[in-house]
Amino acid sequence: MRYFKLPDLGEGLQEAEIVEWHIKPGDTVELDQIIVSVETAKAIVDVPSPQAGVIASLFGKEGDLIHIGEPMLEYAGEEEADTGTVVGEMQTAGQDTEIDHFIIGSGNASGNRRTLATPAMRALAKRLSVDLSQVEGSGQQGLITTHDIEKAAQLTKDFGEAQPLKGVRRVMANNMAKAHAEVVKVTINDDVDIAEWYHKDDPTMRLVRAIATACQQEPNLNAWFDGANMSIRVIDKVDLGIAVDTGDGLFVPVLRDITHRPLDDLKNGLNQLRSAVKARKIPPSEMTGATITLSNFGTIAGRYGNPVIVPPMVAILGAGKIREAVVAHQGEIVVHPVMPLSLSFDHRAITGGEAARFLGAVMNDLLKAPA
Amino acid sequence: MGTNEKLNNETSGSVCETKVVTMVEAVNAALHRAMQNDPSVVVLGEDVGTNGGVFRATVGLKDAFGCKRVMDTPLAETLIAGISVGMATQGLKPVAEIQFMGFIYAAVEHIISHAARMRNRTRGRLHCPMVLRAPYGGGIHAPEHHSESTEALFAHIPGIRVVVPSSPTRAYGLLLSAIADPDPVIFLEPKRIYRMVRQEIKDNGEGLPLDTCFTLRQGNDLTLISWGAMIHETLQAAKLLEAKGIYADVIDVASLSPIDMETLIASVQKTGRCVIIQEAARHCGVASDISANLSETCLLHLQAPIFRVTGYDIPMPYFKNEHIYMPSVNEIVETAQRALEYA
Repeated sequence: MRYFKLPDLGEGLQEAEIVEWHIKPGDTVELDQIIVSVETAKAIVDVPSPQAGVIASLFGKEGDLIHIGEPMLEYAGEEEADTGTVVGEMQTAGQDTEIDHFIIGSGNASGNRRTLATPAMRALAKRLSVDLSQVEGSGQQGLITTHDIEKAAQLTKDFGEAQPLKGVRRVMANNMAKAHAEVVKVTINDDVDIAEWYHKDDPTMRLVRAIATACQQEPNLNAWFDGANMSIRVIDKVDLGIAVDTGDGLFVPVLRDITHRPLDDLKNGLNQLRSAVKARKIPPSEMTGATITLSNFGTIAGRYGNPVIVPPMVAILGAGKIREAVVAHQGEIVVHPVMPLSLSFDHRAITGGEAARFLGAVMNDLLKAPA
Repeated sequence: MGTNEKLNNETSGSVCETKVVTMVEAVNAALHRAMQNDPSVVVLGEDVGTNGGVFRATVGLKDAFGCKRVMDTPLAETLIAGISVGMATQGLKPVAEIQFMGFIYAAVEHIISHAARMRNRTRGRLHCPMVLRAPYGGGIHAPEHHSESTEALFAHIPGIRVVVPSSPTRAYGLLLSAIADPDPVIFLEPKRIYRMVRQEIKDNGEGLPLDTCFTLRQGNDLTLISWGAMIHETLQAAKLLEAKGIYADVIDVASLSPIDMETLIASVQKTGRCVIIQEAARHCGVASDISANLSETCLLHLQAPIFRVTGYDIPMPYFKNEHIYMPSVNEIVETAQRALEYA
């Protein structure tokens, strides 16, 4: 250090008077040797030397007023380090090196999609307790207008709050909308006479077996179709998705490999899947990978359906409620139990002939006597 | 960017060196590189030659390129700017240093009446490829006239670019592009951060674009916009906010004229909330202009008012009270939280 400056003596004092110099130019001083006594507004303070050295000159004589930070004396032979500035003090970097991370221009702009509304509309929405994220804007480029907010508020007043879809129902809504937008669906219907086995066999298990048989005869319906790339995968193993209705929504657990497993095994498997769904303990892995679907809505009500195919699958069989019907049987008019069937198929991937043959094979199997 | 291409072509074949430098050393490296690559580049100003500049920005230039290209001038800013305009219109590329931005006012007549409108008033016959470098801003306990941030004065004038780097890497790239630019550039160097950090730069003569913001941090909750030394506090505030689970876009405006509004708009439309931080006094500052522009373009996306964190409308205080004037990390965090409180 070349110049010794009056240090901060504490207590917020800004200046001090030199009372007595204890050294003179040419003196050799040691570290902490008292070099000067100064008088502040409160006391006389002895100031020690911050370093050993030879005094070159003193600035100020006894009785002079010195401000904090002003030089008091100069040590001989010391070079002042280059501070990098002629005025003030520079904050200097340590030894650490930074890497400069930046993006030229804009970063990722795909963030939260905000609702479009002016501040006045936001205030109105708040006053009327309307959640803007639930309001569809009718103005320019989707701008939410006074009318939109008032309409939403009126709806809530008249009919209560709308409940946002959650969980399984939300997934169902998305899947169905996607399927409807994509699939070119055709549904064919027929009734099958099940007098041979009614009340002897479980209808669901008969349907499982019938689908397995039909898949062997018309394998193209057990397939995954990729409409974007115009490709199809016909699959050997038949993994049957079975629609199960619950209070929480629609579940479709998958019964694996229905062509090669004995019926008892399949029945146990199906019961396990059903109870797992009921207990809400079914792992997601048990609900993916179906290659064809069965919807046995007839356990509840309804004759024919118009079942929706969920891509990439290409077919779904719906079975309606079994009913007593007047049928022609071996030339006689009789009353027999009949099961109504509805087969939906994706006409982008499957021809009408293939679908009709598949339905025919299903019906043939369902006509047969108990196993 | 025709000018950048030229710059790159000229440097091809020369050695690219990786250096660890502070911002003032990056300025020095860029000046060396520009003078080496283009013989029409000259440097002039007070103490820039023999002394190497009061902040050491021009150290070594006189030894390397001689006193015909590195000229010490009298203490006369009017003259420095006037000579530069003359040199620039006649084929040289002067890089003049105004020792402190507080001394620039004597040069304003030449900057506004001549440099800024040379291309326009001569109907394109002459142009004025000059750079006026000036250290600016407070926070180093300097005396009066040494601490102001009056960038808005120049950003208001059509015909000149105003560029502010905030890191060694960007100082290097932006200064090279400023020198290569065919029109006048006021290049303001935030002196408080001259030596604050070290970064590794590639001394390869490659410029950075002058017309763009730089996104330094990305988040979806809030946009923090700043430039110059305040980037330092803004980044610290962003880190504190992140610890509370709030993720902010931090954007360094860098070019105060023209301003890359596209980048700022994209960010604010994404986040819906914005705080602009400037060291300069509040009234009629660049922050006010950015705020006005964003309120015109992003009204429908805004979830909260656009807030400004600025200095006060007073002359920069002497150093004892300087810290009271300077926007702090805390102020930025608190203002960000105010913006987030709007539902």
